[in-house]
Amino acid sequence: MAILINGNTRIITQGITGKAGRFHTEQGMLYAPTYVGGVTPGKGGEEILGLPVFDTVWEAKKSTECNASLIFVPPPFAAEAILEAEEAEIPLIVCITEGIPFQDMLRVSHVMKKSKSRLIGPNCPGIITPGECKMGIMPGYIHQKGSIGIVSRSGTLTYEAVWQTTQLGLGQSTCVGIGGDPLNGTTFIDILALFEKDEQTKAILMIGEIGGRAEEEAAQWISSHSTKPIAAFIAGQTAPPGRRMGHAGAIISGGQGTAAMKMAALKNVGVVIAEVPTEMGLAVESLI
Amino acid sequence: MDIHEFQAKKILQSYGIPIPPFAVISSLAEADAILDQYQWSSAVLKVQIHAGGRGKAGGVQFAKDRNEIRKWVKELLGKKIVTPQTGKEGLVASQLLLSSPLAIAHEYYLSIAVNRERAQNMLLISSVGGVEIEQVAQEHPDQVLFLPIPLDGVFRSYHLYRIANFMRWKGKIAKQGIECIKKLVQAFVEIDATLVEINPLVETKEGDLYALDAKISLDDNALFRHPDLKALFDPSQVNPYEALAREIDLAYVSLDGNIGCMVNGAGLAMATMDLIKHYGGEPANFLDVGGSASKEIVAEGFKIILSDPKVKVILINIFGGIMNCGTIAEGIIAAAEELHIHVPLVVRLEGTNVDQGKHLLQETKLQIISAHDLTSAAQKAVALAR
Repeated sequence: MAILINGNTRIITQGITGKAGRFHTEQGMLYAPTYVGGVTPGKGGEEILGLPVFDTVWEAKKSTECNASLIFVPPPFAAEAILEAEEAEIPLIVCITEGIPFQDMLRVSHVMKKSKSRLIGPNCPGIITPGECKMGIMPGYIHQKGSIGIVSRSGTLTYEAVWQTTQLGLGQSTCVGIGGDPLNGTTFIDILALFEKDEQTKAILMIGEIGGRAEEEAAQWISSHSTKPIAAFIAGQTAPPGRRMGHAGAIISGGQGTAAMKMAALKNVGVVIAEVPTEMGLAVESLI
Repeated sequence: MDIHEFQAKKILQSYGIPIPPFAVISSLAEADAILDQYQWSSAVLKVQIHAGGRGKAGGVQFAKDRNEIRKWVKELLGKKIVTPQTGKEGLVASQLLLSSPLAIAHEYYLSIAVNRERAQNMLLISSVGGVEIEQVAQEHPDQVLFLPIPLDGVFRSYHLYRIANFMRWKGKIAKQGIECIKKLVQAFVEIDATLVEINPLVETKEGDLYALDAKISLDDNALFRHPDLKALFDPSQVNPYEALAREIDLAYVSLDGNIGCMVNGAGLAMATMDLIKHYGGEPANFLDVGGSASKEIVAEGFKIILSDPKVKVILINIFGGIMNCGTIAEGIIAAAEELHIHVPLVVRLEGTNVDQGKHLLQETKLQIISAHDLTSAAQKAVALAR
């Protein structure tokens, strides 16, 4: 059972007429017929990829009855795009954009905490339910419908894990990229809770990295709420302290947020740790 | 992005935060001119580098007369300062901040920083200033006050009472302190800072408040809306290759090893570094070329990696995904040819048309090793670096 998106999801793309928005909407449509429209302010009334374009999310929702929005809006306007979708009561908002200012996301976080809508990202590759629906920039063909739930802060490192689990014949139930920013809409815990209730998910693979306390907090949740086997890989064991490693949230600060600490916290609650990125698939296979 | 103390002070001054008069000089002649103008009999000299711990490293000096001032100017300008934060290479001070010493009665600590766990901006204030705040917070937690800043960036009067009472401020100093804090919050939000730190915030014997030191870190993601602040960047304070990468928007961190890395995706790049170390090698850098590994971007990546003379081999790990591996291979070959790459390249590609990509790499006469998988790629790179 898909945890977030499936063949019936009705997706609009905010920023659909931009290069990335257009390309990935087209890829998503090739994967599954789940796209119903797009939003670019000023281009309302136009058509792209056979989909209607609207000036605003509210108008798009009224006309298409969409229930999910995929955001490909550049950093200066992305936070506002998220807030616009939330205000239009779109239940699921996935923001791919990397580079949103921290203060902007602070305001978004505040709104999302009290909202009925769910935000995935920003700075993430999106969500895919293999065989059913693709909402993001991941390559569809490496995925295979199966039993491993994957939740990750990374993009291409997630594809490595997907590729490994596909080649092992395990496949994936749903893959969620929660993003590499310090402030995001959905945490490891949020997705682990959904996987916990999902019958199709037999085991879970968590991909974390240095910075923040998301993995440590997930470890605490796992010890009291999880009944399913979990494996994890944490990137950045060799990252120097105090340096931002690409992702805005990937930084060891004041001695906190090291890969070693995260691995220890997870190991402590029974999570199987893959010591190297080439063994993520094997780690989760060992659990089944 | 970090900026110098004098730049931070100028910014805070523009927001009305009291800063003792200061001058920035980069030569003895400039120092003489300033001393003639201000007629300071004594002065504090501070090297302007992007690192803390300057005092202990001899980068902050008190001079009791004009001769001593001139002596310190000559000694500190161009001096390499090594602090725990600079690493052993240290940082060279080409500018000094000069100011007239104050009669200090009390030193406080004041900062505002983003807090990701709480998704809030946090004020941190203490009546123990001039020392390491982490130590104070650990050893005397009752002497530090953490206060979340309201989302609209405005402290209410009840917040301000709490702060004043905690600091035991009364009368004139309370008024100045509260004003300073309100302005600091405004500055913090408006310039999109991630940290603004005043340590120490001093109360003079006359009962006036001044920011004796100031440190500001800016949110890189927000620089697009602050071109004036972006222009304050001093490339002399960072590794030159990192300054170069910054200019072309590549995420690059210089490390100590001899195996260059070029990867698409920050998480995968970190994992690739980890894998190299796992097999006994030492990465020379972290480099994320991002979502489009085009010929141009790969060429830029090569230039940056190879400007480090220690690099003996470059490991390229690209999970092409949507990008066509054939195109990526062509890009790598073209870039390597154009730049006359002299070190071996170990390339691991995965994704669309991977076989075509591998084939192209095998056919070229350049010293390119097409790895079967990530494990063998890492092992080969480590072997070649020995």
